[in-house]
Amino acid sequence: MLTRRSFHRQLLALLAAGALPLPRPAGAAAGGGGGDALLNRLSFGATETSRRELASAGPEDWLEGQLAAPPGDAGLTRRLAAARLRIAYEAGDDGAGGHWPATDEMRPLGLLEADPAGLLGLLDHETAMDYAERVRPAQEVIAASLLRAVHAEAQLREVMTQFWHDHFNVMSTASEATAVFFPAYDRMLRDHAFGNFRALLGEVAKAPAMLTYLGNADSRASPANENFARELLELHTLGAGNYLSDRIGHWSEVPGAAQGLAAGYIDEDVYEAARCFTGWTVGDGRWIGEGREAPMSGAFHYAEAWHDPYQKRFLGREFPSHQGPLADGEQALDMLATHPGTARFVCAKIARRLLADDPDPDLVEHLAGVFLREAGALDQIARVIRALVAHPAFAATPPGKLRRPFEVLAALYRATGAEVASAELGWNWQLSRAGWRQHAYPPPTGHPDLSADWANSTYLARVVDLALYAHDQWFDGARPSAGALVPDTLASFGQVCGHWTQRLHGRADETGYGPVLERFGVSEADPLPDDPEDREHAVAMALAVAALSPAFLYR
Amino acid sequence: MGEPVLVVIFLRGGADALQLVAPASDEAYLAARPDFLRTDRAGDAAGIALGGDLADVDFRLHPAAAPLADLHAAGDLSIVHATGLLEPTRSHFDAEARIERAGGGDGGASGWLGRWLRVARPEGPLPALAVGTMLPDALRGAPATVAPTLDEVPIAAGHWLAPALRARILEGFGAHGPLVATAQDLVRTSELLTDRLWAPDLDAFRPYAPSVDYPDGPLSVPLRTVAQAIKEGLGLRIATVDYGGWDTHVRQADDFGGLVGGLAGPLMAFWRDLGPRQQDVSVVVMSEFGRRLLANASGGTDHGRAGAMFVLGPQARGGRMLGRWPGLENEALEDGADLAVTTDYRAVLAELLQGHMGLPDPEAVFPGLAPGRPGLWG
Repeated sequence: MLTRRSFHRQLLALLAAGALPLPRPAGAAAGGGGGDALLNRLSFGATETSRRELASAGPEDWLEGQLAAPPGDAGLTRRLAAARLRIAYEAGDDGAGGHWPATDEMRPLGLLEADPAGLLGLLDHETAMDYAERVRPAQEVIAASLLRAVHAEAQLREVMTQFWHDHFNVMSTASEATAVFFPAYDRMLRDHAFGNFRALLGEVAKAPAMLTYLGNADSRASPANENFARELLELHTLGAGNYLSDRIGHWSEVPGAAQGLAAGYIDEDVYEAARCFTGWTVGDGRWIGEGREAPMSGAFHYAEAWHDPYQKRFLGREFPSHQGPLADGEQALDMLATHPGTARFVCAKIARRLLADDPDPDLVEHLAGVFLREAGALDQIARVIRALVAHPAFAATPPGKLRRPFEVLAALYRATGAEVASAELGWNWQLSRAGWRQHAYPPPTGHPDLSADWANSTYLARVVDLALYAHDQWFDGARPSAGALVPDTLASFGQVCGHWTQRLHGRADETGYGPVLERFGVSEADPLPDDPEDREHAVAMALAVAALSPAFLYR
Repeated sequence: MGEPVLVVIFLRGGADALQLVAPASDEAYLAARPDFLRTDRAGDAAGIALGGDLADVDFRLHPAAAPLADLHAAGDLSIVHATGLLEPTRSHFDAEARIERAGGGDGGASGWLGRWLRVARPEGPLPALAVGTMLPDALRGAPATVAPTLDEVPIAAGHWLAPALRARILEGFGAHGPLVATAQDLVRTSELLTDRLWAPDLDAFRPYAPSVDYPDGPLSVPLRTVAQAIKEGLGLRIATVDYGGWDTHVRQADDFGGLVGGLAGPLMAFWRDLGPRQQDVSVVVMSEFGRRLLANASGGTDHGRAGAMFVLGPQARGGRMLGRWPGLENEALEDGADLAVTTDYRAVLAELLQGHMGLPDPEAVFPGLAPGRPGLWG
């Protein structure tokens, strides 16, 4: 009978004797079944419930339901309210007479909805507290992110929220300021996930989290600090493909510049954009000038005294001097949000996220057309997504995109039906070993989105760990264990294998476990072990085998 | 003597070479830079004199880089100033992609280290290790192991199902998809490393006992891992280590000393840890660009052009400043703003690959590279 030890012995013997045949999913690269392709693209992974919903509503209505779904739902609200994230630190002092007591408690996620003005105390170094308290807001958002990805009903909104987090990346743990402003940033991205790109871009440019992460909060005349302006052009709007400094040395030589809208940008556009955003800072009480401080609003603040008011030339267009408060920056954002280069760059990224690494160029062009035509629509992004799903290339593209580490974990829990219950961020540390730094990716690029960027040895080794351990007690990601997630009615090895195949791959027709099981001295028809521990091992083994499959890892 | 090893440390973000290896006697430098962003000849920020044979300028190493000054004085370290990309780009990600791919003429499919590996075809359990969690572009195009530490490499190390899982991965991914080559390499590497390093009595990898203490810092564990791979005789030939945080747009003075110390201290520890294996190892330290001569109004510096490269290793004739110093007068600056690039960074790398790694023809790695070398050996 199956025991851990006998398993091991037999495997070693088999390996010594030669190749160990293991099941190969039918259809190999094709991945999951038809409906699963859509669910795996537009959600964090198919579940039995979402399969039923899709089957009953049909793809169009299912998509409309997702686009209409509000950010919260009753189940998610209940789970977020019940969640506890441990905070623990030793007693300490700040070296200036301030002390704090040792703390070790299970604390609710109480800062997710907090008004940033109310969190400014965490930035006050006159008040003694452990650093863990100052960055707690960011930790809560990170903890909530897995819960949302697995359990939110508004799945597509969560997928797009993650997309915008990567597109407008802020490393929430970069400093206590980015941490304190991060819950508001997360809420804003979620609210605007399907909205108007210009509105979203404006919110990002004025978000205290972004202003502190890329240092624009400190940018003033003169010389301006170009950090935000450069990433605004390179990462948020036009994209590096439209950066022409290696080819073009003067603004007037950029195609389109003479007509008032340059097709691409050079370093001088970065410098001019940086001047446009001087004075865009944060209301955190900072010193602006003699007798002048920013308000303690926890929100965007425009410091007129820091702004460089003189004439500018951006993308070939002259901005007159003294345009008035905010006007230079707003005008630059207007130009960028409706620029064809931005439309192509952003739409290619959306298609790369929701469809495939290398989306069909005709599809991208089509989406860019929708993006530009609908530039005034409040639901501009939703319209782009609708156009993507309706395009023939969407259905014609086979699955083949590697799930990234966070997506592997979320999809696994969704498929098995586990409940996220992480009192600590151990799962987050496990993902970081695979290169995934949830809301804490240091460079402003955000996580890469090509399979080739992830198909390396540490990704694969850690995905094996996730497949093996994500349901273990010590992993502290979800409950209950794999063994408790299969119905008691499953009596045989074959039924357990079939169960996971249905859950993870969306079809019960995969066979081929028989030969493997035979090698372990059991057959598909054999009953599962009676001993609870042996049964747990057998079920977990079958889960790992089902997860380590192209049908699950490629979407 | 063992087979030669090349360690590449990449300072991500654009290290300010003008504060790291400062032209401390240059009038234009003194005029342009506020004192808190300079390394000076005297005072609190006094740098360590490097004894210049470059353009009669008194180059000073940042005080936090004292261990590097020791290596320089010992004749093991050379500095090549005013190096960088010939193409003028001030974008991090564009510059990094170009530098690491180094114009392979294959549309970006391979990096310079990947091409060296394809030419040299080194064998052994671990010919190339990217320390960290992402494969740097420089290693594209050839098999390389990516892991933060050696005990992170094997699949499910010590797990009773590990052999079955390896087989599952080999079989399951068949002949398609982006994971195939990775799966094959990783299964092979897992088995070879486990054979070498697994201690059954500990149910873990045999712990590595470095011969010196490494100071704390983000480079310590990565460099200790590289030293371990070299000293364990795993056939390591190429290692890459990333060190981020150099994008000092705001309040550079707050961070710069820590960044420099975080490079110099662990690098010195690594070098001592190697012991007799020093004779086989070269280290090159580089960044995607230097930073602007003028500071911004946020107490920081913005993206510039030329930077400095460090080459550590006893094979080359060290203890020197190499390159051609273009000066910092306005007309000497690139676009009137930045230290001009006078040495193609590829010339430094090509000389290293030829002189140290035994590459016969640099054309195979750096197609179209002009002759001219900085003279690390001369």
